[in-house]
Amino acid sequence: MRFPSQRSVADSFSSIPLDAGADLALKDGSRVAVIGGGPAGSFFSYFLLKMAEAIDLELEVDIFEPRFFTRGGPSGCNHCGGIVSESLVQILAAEGINLPTEVVQRGIESYVVHMDVGSVAIQSPAKESRIAALYRGNGPRDGSELQWESFDGYLQGMAVERGARVRHKLVTGVDWTDGKPVLIENDGHASAYDLVTVSAGVNSNFIGMLKDSPAGVAPPKTTRTYICEFKVGREGVHEIMGNAMHVFLLSIPRLEFAALIPKGEFVTMVMLGDELDQELVHAFLDDPTVRRCFPTDEKPVVCSCSPLINMGATKRPYGDRIVMIGDSGVTRLYKDGIGASYRTAKAAAATAVYQGISADTFEEHYWPACKAISSDNAIGKVIFGVTTLFKHSKISRRAILRMTSLEQEQEKAPHMSSVLWNMFTGSAPYKEIFTSTLHPGFIGSLVWNLAHGMRPSGGNGKVA
Amino acid sequence: MSDATSPEAGGLGNDERRLTPAYRPSQVEKQAPCQAGCPNCGDIRGWIGTVAQRDKLGLTKEEAYERAWRMITDVNPFPSVLGRVCPHPCETHCNRAEHDEPLAINAMERFLGDWAIEADIPLPTIDGEAGPEWVGVVGAGPSGLSFAYQMARRGYRVTVYEGREKAGGMLRFGIPDYRLPPAVLDAEIEKIERLGVEIELETAVGRDVSLQELKQRHAALYLGIGAQAGRGLGVPGEDGPGVWTGTEFLSLVNCGEPVDPGTRVAVIGGGNTAIDAARAARRLGAEVTILYRRSRTEMPAIEHEIDDALEEGVELVLLASPVRLERQPNGDLATLIAQRMELGEPDDSGRRRPVPIPDSELELPVSAVIAAVSQAPDIRGFEDLDQDGGWFLTGNGGAVGDGVWAGGDALGLGIAGMAIVQGRHAAEALHARFRGLAPPEAPENGKRLVGADEIIMEFHETRPPALPERLSPEERLAAPMAEVSGRITEEQFLAETSRCFSCGSCFGCSQCEMFCTSGCFTKLEEVGPGIYFTLTLEQCQECGKCVEVCPCGFLEVN
Ligand SMILES: Cc1cc2nc3c(=O)[nH]c(=O)nc-3n(C[C@H](O)[C@H](O)[C@H](O)COP(=O)(O)OP(=O)(O)OC[C@H]3O[C@@H](n4cnc5c(N)ncnc54)[C@H](O)[C@@H]3O)c2cc1C
Ligand SMILES: Cc1cc2nc3c(=O)[nH]c(=O)nc-3n(C[C@H](O)[C@H](O)[C@H](O)COP(=O)(O)OP(=O)(O)OC[C@H]3O[C@@H](n4cnc5c(N)ncnc54)[C@H](O)[C@@H]3O)c2cc1C
Repeated sequence: MRFPSQRSVADSFSSIPLDAGADLALKDGSRVAVIGGGPAGSFFSYFLLKMAEAIDLELEVDIFEPRFFTRGGPSGCNHCGGIVSESLVQILAAEGINLPTEVVQRGIESYVVHMDVGSVAIQSPAKESRIAALYRGNGPRDGSELQWESFDGYLQGMAVERGARVRHKLVTGVDWTDGKPVLIENDGHASAYDLVTVSAGVNSNFIGMLKDSPAGVAPPKTTRTYICEFKVGREGVHEIMGNAMHVFLLSIPRLEFAALIPKGEFVTMVMLGDELDQELVHAFLDDPTVRRCFPTDEKPVVCSCSPLINMGATKRPYGDRIVMIGDSGVTRLYKDGIGASYRTAKAAAATAVYQGISADTFEEHYWPACKAISSDNAIGKVIFGVTTLFKHSKISRRAILRMTSLEQEQEKAPHMSSVLWNMFTGSAPYKEIFTSTLHPGFIGSLVWNLAHGMRPSGGNGKVA
Repeated sequence: MSDATSPEAGGLGNDERRLTPAYRPSQVEKQAPCQAGCPNCGDIRGWIGTVAQRDKLGLTKEEAYERAWRMITDVNPFPSVLGRVCPHPCETHCNRAEHDEPLAINAMERFLGDWAIEADIPLPTIDGEAGPEWVGVVGAGPSGLSFAYQMARRGYRVTVYEGREKAGGMLRFGIPDYRLPPAVLDAEIEKIERLGVEIELETAVGRDVSLQELKQRHAALYLGIGAQAGRGLGVPGEDGPGVWTGTEFLSLVNCGEPVDPGTRVAVIGGGNTAIDAARAARRLGAEVTILYRRSRTEMPAIEHEIDDALEEGVELVLLASPVRLERQPNGDLATLIAQRMELGEPDDSGRRRPVPIPDSELELPVSAVIAAVSQAPDIRGFEDLDQDGGWFLTGNGGAVGDGVWAGGDALGLGIAGMAIVQGRHAAEALHARFRGLAPPEAPENGKRLVGADEIIMEFHETRPPALPERLSPEERLAAPMAEVSGRITEEQFLAETSRCFSCGSCFGCSQCEMFCTSGCFTKLEEVGPGIYFTLTLEQCQECGKCVEVCPCGFLEVN
């Protein structure tokens, strides 16, 4: 059965040939398009080619990525806080992806949690749950040290080494011809593929175009964030930040989360909030707690952006010959997006190579990986909700401070410390965090500290 | 431009306390350096872009050529002429010089001018603007003709009064044929005449008709009388046979009159007239020496014309000035006695003043001496008008008296491009006055000049410019009238247009579209040089990628 080409997307959906399902699998010579060469796209290409090689399957993989990650400054950057857990770094090493020190800076050994009632430093509970910092591009605008190498660029190099081809093009649309996706590039060029993997993140208008595609995927929900880079100088950074990442639990209306991350000569500030705007940024920077540890007046900001962050999973991130991974698909709420990219990319690649590329196959073999993440996110939402409640009550802030401080000082069982640690690093699933809060030791200690916190002289936090 | 805090803008917006600029783009067309360098303020980038971007604009080659030619002729009816003789300050300012070589703008202009002559394209008119006024022009040089063109294309009736037997001024009687073939000049003047401009030849004002009569006849007058009177040397022995001024000599040569300077010619001066006179004399078979009283860097002549003269065997004696001419008993010239000079303090013109060195005379055997030291206007018949030491003095946008305007060399020696722009400005001002319109504004008013540091030069591969074929010095002397410099080929022309950086104006490279995956930039259906994308800031991440990758300096941080 043959169909005229270049028909409308909706049309072709309803008329995909019945026997098309028969060859919904990758064969020798199959062409795979990867839209977006961020972490998800590169992980996917890397695993796809590695797994294909293992079963002697020859594939042609084109990564569409308009950006050049070799460039310094914003033009080679895929904006994010750049925190990855040491456990992810180690998992990647086991996969054969050894991130060199120019790409990943290790050694952030503690967290400092700042609250109006005091600050407390939490040491990393175990070596493998330490965290590392990276830049997605070659460091911020105005960088004077040639210290950073792009994380995204490094991963892309790994994919290319495996045989993927990078095409510096923007994909502006997909047409479906005879049930096969045809990618349209920004210069009008079009080419047909056997499988399209969408790894365009959430900061891409491309994913919105897929609403009407045969896959019928709705783009994920998003919210706007703020990131900026303070150029403080290596010594200054060490003096102010130490070897620690600083997070803030402050009762500032609309502020969800804010962190300061030391990165060589820079300090990266990441902020999440409701309807984030300049007012909120200033409210945060002007807050006495923030000023106490990070007075910003003298520090030049050299780079900033306000990208979107994924707030909710794409429903049904697959279809016949199409699969969505990383931020474009399902990712972890608020953190560890890179880890989620890795997991969804690998699951999608394994499905495509070993199982097939039909919607049904993806549902059976790929969706479980996504579902695990999205159900965990549901728990994460509850935890964040509780944190928000806690954040806005001075008594509970004192309790958190007191409990954590005591744990850190007296080497007590680190109930609160590991809850906080895991929440901020993303090194454990939300479910695990939640479970640990149900631990009798946690509850008992919290209740005790809450009660203590109600007495006016309650706080005895160690100021970091 | 959308307001920073407007709801349709994405990101966090701007306020005074913002830590960085919101790296939010705006599309701001800027002035290109070529245009800033051009006295005529021509939209050089625009016409080059029209050809370079023809595929994106959906134009055939011919459509693009015609459109580009119309853009040039909007300000200058002589592209073929200026494409040959203009010293092209535009190229001196071209940013591409910092990458490899400046664009060959002049050669491209000539290509288009010649193409339009061969394709017989009429000059563009501006409809529906004219009134009943009848304007008069004195002098059919480039300045007067530029004025006449700008009035006639708006529909005014124009009569030009020219003292000589042919129109063209110094372009015809000064610049020799080997640089500007008369047929080219004729063709471009003819296009102006086709707009209805009447040229009354051999009608000198002050001789055949008085200024007073013309003032009565016309609603306004434009004087483009040039600086026809060559100055003498003012040294003993100057009066007598064998001595010409540069303009006299060139006029004779250019008119094909018999002129015999003998075998040893000395040309005094360092300007274009001196160089042209020397090269013309050389073509008549003489040994030619140019004497100039300062050093080569001070020579006002077009640099490469000096090189051409030297190639052709003209001798250059710098830092020397004639003191007297000695004659044979029969009155013929025998020897030029000159004095060596050295450079002293800078004078008013900023050039260092030549100072005689005592007892340093040198002797040069001569059969003829051509004094190309300076020219001045012949203002007989115009004495009542505003003037300063024999040059017209304009105030008030080009007027030298009630209803009388002036421009070109009569205001001070310049280049043809300058004469043309003054004619145009006078016409625009006069038209505005006739029609009660606001005085015209310069097209680039308010636009910031784009800096070389705003251009990403690496975006473009280095590539040598288009060079025309040129006759060898031997060929030139063997065929004295033959044009020295050829026309670049069509292939060269097209390749050359694509070397343009399009400084400060969008050329549709799509870098912003590519790097902004959020989709703030949308390609327009109808595009043109400078307009390829609409910008909506709804999805803006304020990251500044687009500004950073824009190779032409069109995008800037808002
Ligand atoms: C403020 C903030 C802080 C964060 N902090 C962290 C953190 O500390 N640690 C962490 O692990 N995660 C963090 N994340 C999340 C992380 O950034 C994402 O999860 C991760 O980038 C997802 O990777 P991806 O490959 O799916 O998408 P992206 O990294 O967004 O990559 C998408 C790629 O697709 C390309 N693309 C887009 N559209 C097209 C198109 N039409 N054609 C061709 N190519 C296209 C883009 O150029 C881009 O390179 C943070 C996110 C935000 C917003
Ligand atoms: C030898 C030479 C070489 C040159 N080379 C170059 C060059 O390479 N590039 C360049 O850009 N410029 C060059 N120039 C300068 C350029 O030619 C002049 O700047 C330009 O021609 C001035 O134009 P104009 O219209 O003001 O005057 P002109 O060209 O001098 O024209 C004036 C016209 O007015 C007529 N006229 C004068 N008085 C009267 C009157 N009373 N009644 C009626 N008609 C009258 C004259 O006959 C003449 O036709 C050169 C000049 C000379 C002399």
